[in-house]
Amino acid sequence: MTEQLKEDPPLGRVVVITSGKGGVGKTTSAAAISAGLAKMGYKTVVIDFDVGLRNLDMTMGCERRVVFDFINVIQGDARLKQALIRDKRLDNLSILPTSQTRDKDALTKEGVDTVLTELKQEFDYIICDSPAGIERGAQLAMYFADEAVVVTNPEVSSVRDSDRVLGLLSSQTRRAETEGSEPVKAQVLLTRHDRTRIENGEMMTVEDVLEILAVPLLGIIPESQAVLRASNIGTPVTLDEPSAASRSYEDAVARLTGQEVEMRIAGERRPGLFHRLFGRSA
Amino acid sequence: MSSRHAKDRRAGAPAVIKPFQIRGRFLTALAIRLEGTPPDDAFYQALDEQLQQTPQFFSEAPVVLDFAKAPGIATTEKIRDLTKALRERNLLVFGVQNAGPVDQPALQAMGLIPIVAAGRDAPGPNDGARRKRGIEKLLPPDNKIVTAPVRSGQTVLADRGDLTVVGSVASGAELVASGNIHVYGTLRGRAMAGAHGDAKARIFCRKLDAELVAIAGLYQTSETLAPEARGRCAQIFLEDEKLCMEALK
Repeated sequence: MTEQLKEDPPLGRVVVITSGKGGVGKTTSAAAISAGLAKMGYKTVVIDFDVGLRNLDMTMGCERRVVFDFINVIQGDARLKQALIRDKRLDNLSILPTSQTRDKDALTKEGVDTVLTELKQEFDYIICDSPAGIERGAQLAMYFADEAVVVTNPEVSSVRDSDRVLGLLSSQTRRAETEGSEPVKAQVLLTRHDRTRIENGEMMTVEDVLEILAVPLLGIIPESQAVLRASNIGTPVTLDEPSAASRSYEDAVARLTGQEVEMRIAGERRPGLFHRLFGRSA
Repeated sequence: MSSRHAKDRRAGAPAVIKPFQIRGRFLTALAIRLEGTPPDDAFYQALDEQLQQTPQFFSEAPVVLDFAKAPGIATTEKIRDLTKALRERNLLVFGVQNAGPVDQPALQAMGLIPIVAAGRDAPGPNDGARRKRGIEKLLPPDNKIVTAPVRSGQTVLADRGDLTVVGSVASGAELVASGNIHVYGTLRGRAMAGAHGDAKARIFCRKLDAELVAIAGLYQTSETLAPEARGRCAQIFLEDEKLCMEALK
């Protein structure tokens, strides 16, 4: 495990995990990426923007520890420190859960700005888990982003929705609206990649997807039982036992921090003894 | 049973027949607007020529004399002469407009009524269109260049000129230009060239895979794309009101 200590000041990078389409793996990816970043030593917080459909806390395995939430903080009913939940496995990883009883209208641009500004003082990476769609919740999740991870499945409707979201990222964000600032750095994360289905022509190839989206590739996550299992037991994939999916996420996380990692397409194989012993060192 | 009902109703409401009804009525009248000088031989000659060109239009047409641009000549004499001359030509003069203070009994004697600031002139021939075209001619063309891919859901409009996209146009995206459209990438979305009716506009793309292409309102969808141009570097243009697609070598 590459452990590296970060010195002050924090990076304060806001990364939105978005997709447009639902069910492609945004929350799973947000959990895996934030845990991966924390494992690398970055102080990381992950925020659930899916107001009313609170899921991130379950994927992170902290649903029973939620007292105050994002909306309470925005409305001034709680302080940010009270709402942040520190992960039990990694102490530099925090979760800001959302409300299950409210809806997206409870989010305000000013409120989100205030919370993010405060988080930037303390954290290296602020991961915003966007809801599906392109409505208010998704718009506010992406508005303040410095970087975007667009989660896409290799099939036409997901790719088209991702394309739409990429269009919004280049027009409906603070960076897009501020003269002279760099555009949001968007990368595509291809999830549920199934080599056999692609070979059978049932899914789009990586090349097809990248040709349409025309943004850099952050990583390819194979379709894997490990992802499902990890979600069900409330553990980010990157903190669960090693699998093809967890290695792919770790590569993607390393690329997100600026490292050059060779792209490899992992197939789903049951890790044997050899892999259990040496698979992680790669 | 139904007949009994009908009888009852008739008995209950005795029919009252009104001797008249009053209804609003609009009618279209021609206004002959006199320009400055009193009507002379040249005036009547020009009028006769006009009447000969379109006899049906003027025959038995209700006519109003409009003195807005010739206030000085609206004397009783002049109006009488003019009315007589027009009536001889089968124009049914019935009113005067903008005549200023004229002897009312004299007008009535001539069978004319004063028309007070009612009605509105129809626009002169092609007034609006000519003005708009004139403005468009004065403005320089405003060509547009887009250097990023055009994403699904985006619309790029070049209202006065050509549109060039350096990059691909995604399915669900839309390009609209009054002139030509150039796409240096794959065209998967919609492209509409010659949006103001310019039939000479063309669409060029490096790879044709469009949902819809249109020139001057004539369109084809992806199902009817020419197979020899599909997936190729292609141009699309209008010939004899037909959309032609050809692959470019």
